[in-house]
Amino acid sequence: MADQHKDHGSDPGWADKPWFVRLFSWGLYLACALAAAAGFFWKKDHPHFEAEGFPVFFAIYGFIMFFLIVVVGQHLRKLVGRKENYYEERE
Amino acid sequence: MPELLNPGVIFTLGAFVTLFLAAGLRRYFMLAVIAFSATVTWQMDLGNYGNLQLFGETLTVTRYDVLSRLFVVVFHIAAALNVIYGWHIKDRVENFSALAYPGAAMGGVLAGDWLTLFVWWEMAAITSVFLVLGPRSRSTYMAAMRYLAIQIASGVLLLAGIVLVYRESGSLMFEALALRNEAGDLNFGPLLVFIAFGIKSAFPLLHNWVQDSYPKASITGTIMLSVFTTKLAVYALARGFAGTGELIWLGAFMTLFPIFFALIENDLKKVLCYSINNQVGFMVVGIGVGTATAVNGAVGYAFGNIIFESLLFMSLGAAIYRTGTSKATELGGIYRTMPLTMTLCVVGALSISAFPGTLGFVTKGLIIDGVAEEHLMLIWLILLFASAGVLEHAGIKIPFFTFFAHDSGKRPKEAPPQMLIAMGIGAVLCIGIGLYPDPLYALLPYQDQIAGYHPYTSYHLIEQFQLLLFAVLAFVVLQKTGWYPAEVPSVNLDFDWLYRVPGRAFLGWVITSVAAIWHLVWDNLVRFMEAVARGLHHTHGPEGALSRTWPIGFMALFTAIVLGIMLIVTFLI
Repeated sequence: MADQHKDHGSDPGWADKPWFVRLFSWGLYLACALAAAAGFFWKKDHPHFEAEGFPVFFAIYGFIMFFLIVVVGQHLRKLVGRKENYYEERE
Repeated sequence: MPELLNPGVIFTLGAFVTLFLAAGLRRYFMLAVIAFSATVTWQMDLGNYGNLQLFGETLTVTRYDVLSRLFVVVFHIAAALNVIYGWHIKDRVENFSALAYPGAAMGGVLAGDWLTLFVWWEMAAITSVFLVLGPRSRSTYMAAMRYLAIQIASGVLLLAGIVLVYRESGSLMFEALALRNEAGDLNFGPLLVFIAFGIKSAFPLLHNWVQDSYPKASITGTIMLSVFTTKLAVYALARGFAGTGELIWLGAFMTLFPIFFALIENDLKKVLCYSINNQVGFMVVGIGVGTATAVNGAVGYAFGNIIFESLLFMSLGAAIYRTGTSKATELGGIYRTMPLTMTLCVVGALSISAFPGTLGFVTKGLIIDGVAEEHLMLIWLILLFASAGVLEHAGIKIPFFTFFAHDSGKRPKEAPPQMLIAMGIGAVLCIGIGLYPDPLYALLPYQDQIAGYHPYTSYHLIEQFQLLLFAVLAFVVLQKTGWYPAEVPSVNLDFDWLYRVPGRAFLGWVITSVAAIWHLVWDNLVRFMEAVARGLHHTHGPEGALSRTWPIGFMALFTAIVLGIMLIVTFLI
């Protein structure tokens, strides 16, 4: 496309600057800490499951599940991954 | 207002008019049609309209009630956003589909009887196939034919189911069906209808037409396709099969498997197509649970999803429009020159991940609450797992690999104004309804339930923030440790491999075998007929024994012999 120019090199944009990466990371750590801490102060009035009564259940579950999806899920590629023109060659 | 004039009919008539309009005029006309249709709908009271008599049966062309209203409203919004986003599109066929296809979907949503539903169901298939065919290459042609075959199969099953249901119940009214009888056995008629709905809503193993066809359409075509067919099917399931237990597990599975395919997919358009499967899965679970909370959640989430999934498709589409690629390996780093598109994409990503303050948060919570109220713990855990999955592929992967990640070196221009306007409206709706959901809640079917529901309770906020923030934390950890898989250019086989490779080979074998058998039978038949003709020719032909000219003496002898035989026979008798 005429709109793209490749001659700008890889100048770091604001999102790649160390200060932004640090700000984002620490902002996230702080937000996580607050969310986890809040779990100890507010409890659900009528929990449907026991797990809901555990103050940091959602934090742990969210972290582990995301981790598992990525770490385990990527192996699916070995099973189903093929080169890009796989179907073109066969149709 | 003439009785038959509902949004489906207005859009369809408008679509045919666009065929005769000059390119520059069409887009204004299309917006005018949508505005007119919205006005007609706005003035319509809830109720049934347009009763037609056919073979002694009453057909109800328009059933405008609390369930169909919500879908009609959001389909109008989506259709308008599509026209604005594709303001530059001058392709006559695509312009036609931009009205005819949403029209067919709305006609189906408003259908009060099975026959009317069937007609619009097929119309939705036919009008949308032009979008898949849009780019006019061999691969899109092949995909379009597969798409059409599957969609028409859904229609044929629907018709067969309708006939059986009609024979059983004697009524053509499109009402709830029982998948099983009192003994727990499957009812065959409703089962066919269920599968027909299942194909269009992309049930597991019936889902591949989405990833196969949608990404091959044009940018605007894909955005349009992503909205209507699957949500028409969601509506049909909500109308016909709410509370059907089988849907709970089907839906739960639908939320799960796309997560893994989306994770390893390099084509970001396909990632969003897997996201459609996953999102529809949440709705299907809600419909399967069938309680007021869950059904409100399912249809509310359908409304929300149409807005934020479109927003994601639109922002990715803008990036594709400017860079010419949808591959994660070829995109990245373009936030520098497309900051507005990136920001709007992030709004869509936050919304689909159900971050508090967005449209996703105020609707998805209802489905999960509905499941929890019924104490379906495993399903509840699966939906939470799937929520982390949504965050992974739609909330993080789409914006991250499109706009950030590695620098592709591409420095495209910001998206054109019409795209920014359409995306901007989508983003405003995401946040606006997210912060003030009452107008959406007023459209939900079970008002008694929603009156007592408050999404912004401290516990709901904490639960959602914990789940999402810690999932983002996991992403950061995976990035920093280098465990997050790099994107690689590849294609991933899914269930459609079965019918695209071995199925195709088998079909080829069947065709060759049938042809060989046919030739064998035909050749032998021809040979036999030739032998018969030769035999006849031999005896009856000009040189044949029977066509010879006999001498008179022989004839006299022959007559004498015959008379002699007659004499003996007469004597004996």
